[in-house]
Amino acid sequence: MTTALDLAVWSSAFAMIAEEMGSVLIRGALSPNIRERRDASCALFDAEGRMIAQAAHIPVHLGALPEAVRAVRDCGPRPGDVFLLNSPWAGGSHLPDLTMVEAIALDGVIVGYAVVRAHHADVGGMSPGSMPQGATELVQEGLVLPPVRLVRGGVMDEELLALVLANVRTPDERRGDLAAQRASCAAGAAGWCALIARQGRAAVEQAGAALLEYAERRALARLAPLEGATSVAEDWLEGDGVSAREVPLRVALRVHQGRLHLDFAGTSPMVAGNVNCPIQVTRAAALFVLRSLLDDDVPTNEGIARAITITTPDDCCVAARSPAAVAAGNVEMSQRLTDLLFAALAAAGVAVPAQGQGTMNNVTFGGRGWTFYETLGGGQGASAKGAGPSGVHVGMSNTRNTPIESLEHAYPIVIERYALREGSGGAGEHRGGEGVIRRYRVLEPCTVTLLTERRARAPKGAQGGGDGAVGANLLNGEPLPAKCRRALSPGEVLEIRTPGGGGWGRPR
Amino acid sequence: MAHKVLSTPGDQGEGVVASLDGLDARAAAIVHGTTVVTNLLLERRGARVVLVTTAGAEDVLFLRRQDRVSLYDLSRHHPAPLVAREDVIGVEERLVVRAAAMPNAAGDATAATAATAATAATAATTATAANTATAAAALTSGPAPIVERALDATETTRVVAATLARNPEIVLVALLHSYADASHEQALAAALRAARPGLEVVTSAEVLPEIREYERFATASAEAYARPAVMRYLDRLTERLHAAGQPAPSVMTSGGGMQSAGTAARHAAALALSGPAGGVVGAAAVLRALGDGGDALTMDIGGTSADAGLILGGEPLVEAGGDVAGVPIALPRVLVETVSAGGGSIAWIDDGGALRVGPRSAGARPGPVAFGRGGTEPTVTDAQLVLGRIVARGMSGGVALDVDAARAAIAGLAARLGSGVDATARAILAIADAEMARALRRVSVERGVDPRRCVLVAFGGGGPLHACALADALAMPRILVPPFAGVLSAVGLALAPERREAAMSLLMPTSQLSAELLASMDHRLSKTAEGSERRTYARMRYRGQGHELEIPVFTRGAAAGAGSSDAAGDDGAALATRFAEAHAARYGFTLPAEAEVVALRHEAGEPARRVRFQREQPANAVTGPATLALSDATLFVADGWTATPLDTGGWMLERA
Repeated sequence: MTTALDLAVWSSAFAMIAEEMGSVLIRGALSPNIRERRDASCALFDAEGRMIAQAAHIPVHLGALPEAVRAVRDCGPRPGDVFLLNSPWAGGSHLPDLTMVEAIALDGVIVGYAVVRAHHADVGGMSPGSMPQGATELVQEGLVLPPVRLVRGGVMDEELLALVLANVRTPDERRGDLAAQRASCAAGAAGWCALIARQGRAAVEQAGAALLEYAERRALARLAPLEGATSVAEDWLEGDGVSAREVPLRVALRVHQGRLHLDFAGTSPMVAGNVNCPIQVTRAAALFVLRSLLDDDVPTNEGIARAITITTPDDCCVAARSPAAVAAGNVEMSQRLTDLLFAALAAAGVAVPAQGQGTMNNVTFGGRGWTFYETLGGGQGASAKGAGPSGVHVGMSNTRNTPIESLEHAYPIVIERYALREGSGGAGEHRGGEGVIRRYRVLEPCTVTLLTERRARAPKGAQGGGDGAVGANLLNGEPLPAKCRRALSPGEVLEIRTPGGGGWGRPR
Repeated sequence: MAHKVLSTPGDQGEGVVASLDGLDARAAAIVHGTTVVTNLLLERRGARVVLVTTAGAEDVLFLRRQDRVSLYDLSRHHPAPLVAREDVIGVEERLVVRAAAMPNAAGDATAATAATAATAATAATTATAANTATAAAALTSGPAPIVERALDATETTRVVAATLARNPEIVLVALLHSYADASHEQALAAALRAARPGLEVVTSAEVLPEIREYERFATASAEAYARPAVMRYLDRLTERLHAAGQPAPSVMTSGGGMQSAGTAARHAAALALSGPAGGVVGAAAVLRALGDGGDALTMDIGGTSADAGLILGGEPLVEAGGDVAGVPIALPRVLVETVSAGGGSIAWIDDGGALRVGPRSAGARPGPVAFGRGGTEPTVTDAQLVLGRIVARGMSGGVALDVDAARAAIAGLAARLGSGVDATARAILAIADAEMARALRRVSVERGVDPRRCVLVAFGGGGPLHACALADALAMPRILVPPFAGVLSAVGLALAPERREAAMSLLMPTSQLSAELLASMDHRLSKTAEGSERRTYARMRYRGQGHELEIPVFTRGAAAGAGSSDAAGDDGAALATRFAEAHAARYGFTLPAEAEVVALRHEAGEPARRVRFQREQPANAVTGPATLALSDATLFVADGWTATPLDTGGWMLERA
């Protein structure tokens, strides 16, 4: 029987297994996007498909993995099967995130699930890097995988793997990354089985359930003082990638009977371009925002999500359905959703920081035989506690940068300048964090795809603080749109200036 | 003989000299483990450093790796870099290193795996006093670095003037791609030294000749920041010891080796993790003295934290990478994983109603409730006392312990939890044990080592108390509680082998490595770091990976004494095979990709000092549950365990 006395022991045991999965993935992976930038997450689920622990890498994967396990369980998994999926209509987020789900076998039965989601540098589709601008249907964005058995009862399906690799631009790298993902799942399965062998299956299951309730209690304890609060917030995306028309988002927030209710009535219907996102990304944003109100030590499991309910209209860009394109939804819509939800909390009287850069600044280069994807940090908003951090990822991402030396060694690109963008943080008693300047000179013909935001609407200051500077994209010194694709010739120079964070309090 | 004195925070050297007061004779050798660099970094009390770096990259130290310090606490900042932004000077020069031409892009080309052919290799010694400069080797089989912008005389003059105008204590020259070609760094360093003789100048490639600018610059910044203070400290210590008629000291590095004070002063960053290394080195020495050359996990438990380490084949595991006070120090260090759980860790109840332990610690002051120094919150030590696992007068320092006060404090928690006092005390220990077990798993399981094959070496004031619970949690069969368990780090210092190291950056696919080439590189490394016992390792990965595995290298001649059965010596293919085996063991898979050698690392030194431990008083085997008061710690033998005294002193525990 798990009690208040041993919750911490179990929490530690579960978290340890998820950590081990993360370590195996990062050390074994080939692509810089996984090994350097750590654009990946690992989690453990119980036999009922409830997330018991997740290794914290990036928030956008936070609430989204349970959908993947649900989709796999709908397929009738057998012990030892390993599924691969990326379809946003069956547990995926956007296509580059390949998710592997192993049905952990012990004595011929499924005792849990090990899940690894990693952003792959290319999964085919209309543009290198599979983060296209201007896509209007999912199939343009890459190979779509509903949950399929990559490993059946412990045996790899080499033909299926060959099919996947035949549809991507960089198959060897994908093969290596998938091998690392499988090794990571195996590490999770081994850890889970060892725990069961030591403690017994019933005790492990009971402890998992108790930890979910515990995390839920911690979340409810934080919401309790807000009982009865209501507020409304609005924000806009700066175009959907096809047209520059703004996409309105609206949320009504209510804390009722201890839980956080979010109603997205008034939010735009699905749009033509690919800033739509499936509901699981919206859930991830809500979870991140609630999580940021909790102490760092609250275990990351599905219990926190129980404190939130989400309602959306039938046709809604934050609960997209087939055949919508979604590549940018995971990265840019998710950022705007966090801005929106923090704004609603602020309107309800919760002390939150001023807005951060509100974008991931997605930059994808593709040339003959190579693709390179990265995202760029910017300013974080200032808060009552002090200035906003500079040059960091805010909101739903926390990937690392690509070292200049590694990038130049591997790709025909020279980084002419990588610097903090002085003066871009909003003024205030506490200044907003500074954005970043990154200047690329290409050495070979290639294309570049940009998916960026906050190029027109600045990150807002709070409590009288000034707004952060909007971002800018420049090609040879001339402005480029926030979302675009361009062919580049050797010697051309692309400069990305990322937004600063909002300031807090009136400047003294 | 073990003799412990209090530290002297103002100048650690006073404590060192004072500790010798009781000694009537001249010491045979004085070996010093020091936290001088660690403290300097923690307190940000180092030198004013002027950084000279490639124009366009002035903010590298400030941008770090772009990730925020906490995922969910959006207001938290990383600790500030060691250099002030206004003390950074950009220099107009630029090298670019590019991999060889991509494989033909017929659809199977791999972009990120383009890190192929060798670039110019750079060799740097990290521990040879005579050779602090970086020796550029001409081992080029791939494209040389492209000079995008040469460093010209006018620019050099301008930068030297701008640097000296800031009147720095020390200068760091750190340029992009210097791991492959250090000529621009060296030229600027030479110009600075010529302009102001006596000026200390550090270059990034001499500290860490490795790709990834942030980690290299940051490590080198720690070197520059700490060096002046370390030089002063070690000079003064040497003088004092000399005046006291004692020999010159040597110093333990983060890598667990020994360096003369003179050498150590110019490798300040290599001392940053010297403190915790001593315990693991000591544990390895004790194992060797017992004739056990196998694998072990070590656990050193103090008042506020617990340090886990790994010993493989009788040697402490040394890996690159570590972090002190927010500054990455990417130099070899004895692997130690620290968690905030120790005797002083405080037990509390969170807002979800769960019992928790730490990370807050009562430390030495006020300390546990039972110490009667004003502590009111129950700690792990209080729980041990309540359960009778510490004899009330068994703590080192002869503190009188107040068991009733400890019991009352835990009863307060128990009442809120609705459970009994003993059950609560046991739960407090279990939570602390779980944190410690997690650290042990991190150092072992994550490195492909199965704890069930390892002996657990438990030391520090708290190690022998937690040992049985930890061994049970990890299914470890045996526990060694070494003699002098409370001061094992000091034993480690006395026994650490003298070691020199040299490294060479390579980035070369195994297909291009002939046995002759490997042997000639190994030979060159052996010239920069000499010794009778030598070992060379290749840091290897599949093309495109970002983490390397260290693979032993045996070359002809160089390895004559190293036990290689292969008379011809290794070539690239032999290394590739060994690497694939290691990769499969660690990660469970291999790839149909070529392996590459990122760097060679060479260690040389004299054999470790042999010591004989001798048990002072006879003792009998003890079957648990039982508590044994050791001279400087308490041993708890849990139910199901038997403790057998060793002739060397110390105890071996096995399951009954």
